[in-house]
Amino acid sequence: MDHRPFEDWLLNNQTLSANEKQQLNVHLQGCSSCSALAEVNLALKSVKMIESATGFSDRFQARLEAQKKALRRRNFWGLLVLTFSVLSGLVWISWPVFKSLIQSPVDWLAACLSTAVSIWASIEALFQGGRVILKVLPGFIPVYVWIVVLLIAGGWSLLWVFSLIKFTKISQGA
Amino acid sequence: MIDEMAWVQQAQKGDDEAFTNLVEMYQKPVYNLCYRMLGEPEGAEDAAQETFLKAYQNLARYDVERSFATWLLAIAAHHCIDKLRRKRFSSFSIDEDEEGQTEIPDRSAPDPETETVHQQTRERLQGCLQSLDPTDRAAVVMRYWQDCSEVEIAQALKLTVPAVKSRLHRARRALADLWEEKEEKSHMHHERKPYGSPAF
Repeated sequence: MDHRPFEDWLLNNQTLSANEKQQLNVHLQGCSSCSALAEVNLALKSVKMIESATGFSDRFQARLEAQKKALRRRNFWGLLVLTFSVLSGLVWISWPVFKSLIQSPVDWLAACLSTAVSIWASIEALFQGGRVILKVLPGFIPVYVWIVVLLIAGGWSLLWVFSLIKFTKISQGA
Repeated sequence: MIDEMAWVQQAQKGDDEAFTNLVEMYQKPVYNLCYRMLGEPEGAEDAAQETFLKAYQNLARYDVERSFATWLLAIAAHHCIDKLRRKRFSSFSIDEDEEGQTEIPDRSAPDPETETVHQQTRERLQGCLQSLDPTDRAAVVMRYWQDCSEVEIAQALKLTVPAVKSRLHRARRALADLWEEKEEKSHMHHERKPYGSPAF
């Protein structure tokens, strides 16, 4: 049986003229497929909302509270395990130092002092070297090079910021 | 609507009471969507509760420019679709579910007989609905039960508007085929009943 255009009328919920309505009624009497479609349309238009059992929001609050409690417990144990692991790691790494400190504290203090002095001397030397370079370098490099460098750095920063905004934008689909 | 926006904003700032107001406001449409999607009350209650929990956790991500109802229904629909996909390979009997979820007839209706017929129609529709693809089912429920526009359905289900239209057409055709099948079965069943004969 040819269901056109009746099936399209029913599927598109078209507004029909009196003549079209009559044609559709005649077709529906002899076509079980289109008749079922018309019945489904009617059933869908008369649908009713179904409600949950009373106390839904109370049950939700209890569930939310339980979840919050579970999260707090998980965070507490997580923090405890993490602290213990980090402390264990630190003790394990620094065990030779502790050992030498316990065995000969004077030698250990002397070694520490000499390391601190050498670090301080290195930093001082680096600062002095840097100051000399900063005084001499601008004279060698022309101004336009500085402008180009600054423009490239600025462009790069802008690109970085826009990429961050674009790729971290949260989808609102669900 | 003004209340709703105020509650959303308060809830975004961490006000649990405001969120509870939103739960009370939307529990019916969310539960209804979950029930129509899953076909059984226990699963629907659990899915509706999970929907509100997910909404609570992701409230900071909600864009106030969009409809809160559509956002919430989108979470519910996706949750149910995921649940149905996970459940796909486990045994699932429509007849069993139909028995467990009879709707209570509306006693206040003017004609109880007409109401019973309407109830049977709704039950049959629910039975047919369970055979649809989960996304098609979500589209049908959002269109007819929640009165969402095709644009809102498209946003919620992450589809294009033409895709929603085509899914709604396909779903209604499939529903009609199932409807016809059930009608034939019910006729055969009535014909076979010995006490259905005029002789009795």
